[in-house]
Amino acid sequence: MSLQEHYRSQARELLAAGAVKMVVGYAEGTTPERRRPVFITEPEECSRLVLDARCRTNLAGYLLREGLLSDGREIAVYLSTEGVRTINILAAESQLSSAQVRILGFEIDRDEVKAMEGKRAADFSEAILAHKERRKKQAPDELAAKLEAMNAAERFTFWQGEFSRCIKCYACRQACPMCWCRRCVVDNNQPQWVNTSSHTLGNLEWNLVRAFHLAGRCVECGNCGRACPVDIPLHLLNRKMTGEVLEAFDHYPGMDEHQEPALASFRKDDPETFIL
Amino acid sequence: MSEPFEPKIVAFVCTYCTYAGADLAGTSRLKYPSNVRIVRLPCTGRISPMFILKALQKGADGVLVSGCHPGDCHFDHGNYHARRRWTVFNSLLQFAGVPEERVRFSWISAAEGRKFAELISEITEDIRRIGPFEQYHALIAETGSPAPL
Ligand code: SF4
Ligand code: SF4
Repeated sequence: MSLQEHYRSQARELLAAGAVKMVVGYAEGTTPERRRPVFITEPEECSRLVLDARCRTNLAGYLLREGLLSDGREIAVYLSTEGVRTINILAAESQLSSAQVRILGFEIDRDEVKAMEGKRAADFSEAILAHKERRKKQAPDELAAKLEAMNAAERFTFWQGEFSRCIKCYACRQACPMCWCRRCVVDNNQPQWVNTSSHTLGNLEWNLVRAFHLAGRCVECGNCGRACPVDIPLHLLNRKMTGEVLEAFDHYPGMDEHQEPALASFRKDDPETFIL
Repeated sequence: MSEPFEPKIVAFVCTYCTYAGADLAGTSRLKYPSNVRIVRLPCTGRISPMFILKALQKGADGVLVSGCHPGDCHFDHGNYHARRRWTVFNSLLQFAGVPEERVRFSWISAAEGRKFAELISEITEDIRRIGPFEQYHALIAETGSPAPL
């Protein structure tokens, strides 16, 4: 039985038994290569669930829909390792209770989907640890290496070009499961920290703030980059921040639900080479 | 336009250490450049990176963020939290192409009036040498907001 079939029948059973009130998964999208999230509450609808290498979206963020988990009931959700790490972070940040999240785990390896065994976020700690080790060794991609080799003025010009295209649609924010603030700092107008007009200045400020607020929290799921209508390479900023917290604080976000957030904790011997 | 370039520098400092250090520099009659505008805050833990962006947005050529040495925080650990934030934000700014000379971080205690005066001189000289932050000023000009500071 394919994993798709296997999880379909599991979803059907979970719903029929009343063990979960909803299954959050993937269904066919508007074009053959697209997948879209579905929210299934009836066992008969489970035949709509699709699982293949095109299921890239991190679905964890949908669990934060206001009131969805407030009845204490469980929800089943299709999650890859990044998704499970997201659950851990959201639990650590008191946004949900991991006991209400029944995981249907999978991993995409090139064009194949593979099962990841486990039901609760805590069952995936080995896979997460393996990801951390792999991440430590990951070489920067070509563009990132090019950027690092530039001088400051050249880098500024590069980002100026990228951010000049930003239209401040905030799709990157809406798509990010970690952007759960009710009121985002960019929507503040007393004081107005970030220029709201979509001039490059405000776009730069917005993108810096976004990257900073995701530092030590981003799981590199890629939801933001896929959502950006003008293809700004947001992953470069996310990766830079992930690399920084990993290197400076040995922090890999989402290890478990008790992990302290990188920027809400400290060690007395944290590095500080740049401080005068 | 023949006037020599005078950098505008904003310093965000905590009141218990660096501000007191600046005060000591003053009462000891130490000379340092008048290019720096000091903004006093209760603790480095209160200094949000948004402040740095705001200073640049208003046309600053340089920013200094400074507070108590690790272990000396009036609130015990505000500066440890701040340090983590600085580490991350500093790396982000540099990745975005903000030259490292433009945004500096330091520990200056209430007893270090001399360090304060010397650091301000040093930072001012550095920025005088690299000139106004033209790349940023060009972005400000594009928004049609009044000329920087
Ligand atoms: S910032 Fe982007 S890559 Fe990181 S968790 Fe949010 S959506 Fe995923
Ligand atoms: S999704 Fe892209 S265009 Fe929209 S606000 Fe984010 S960076 Fe700007």
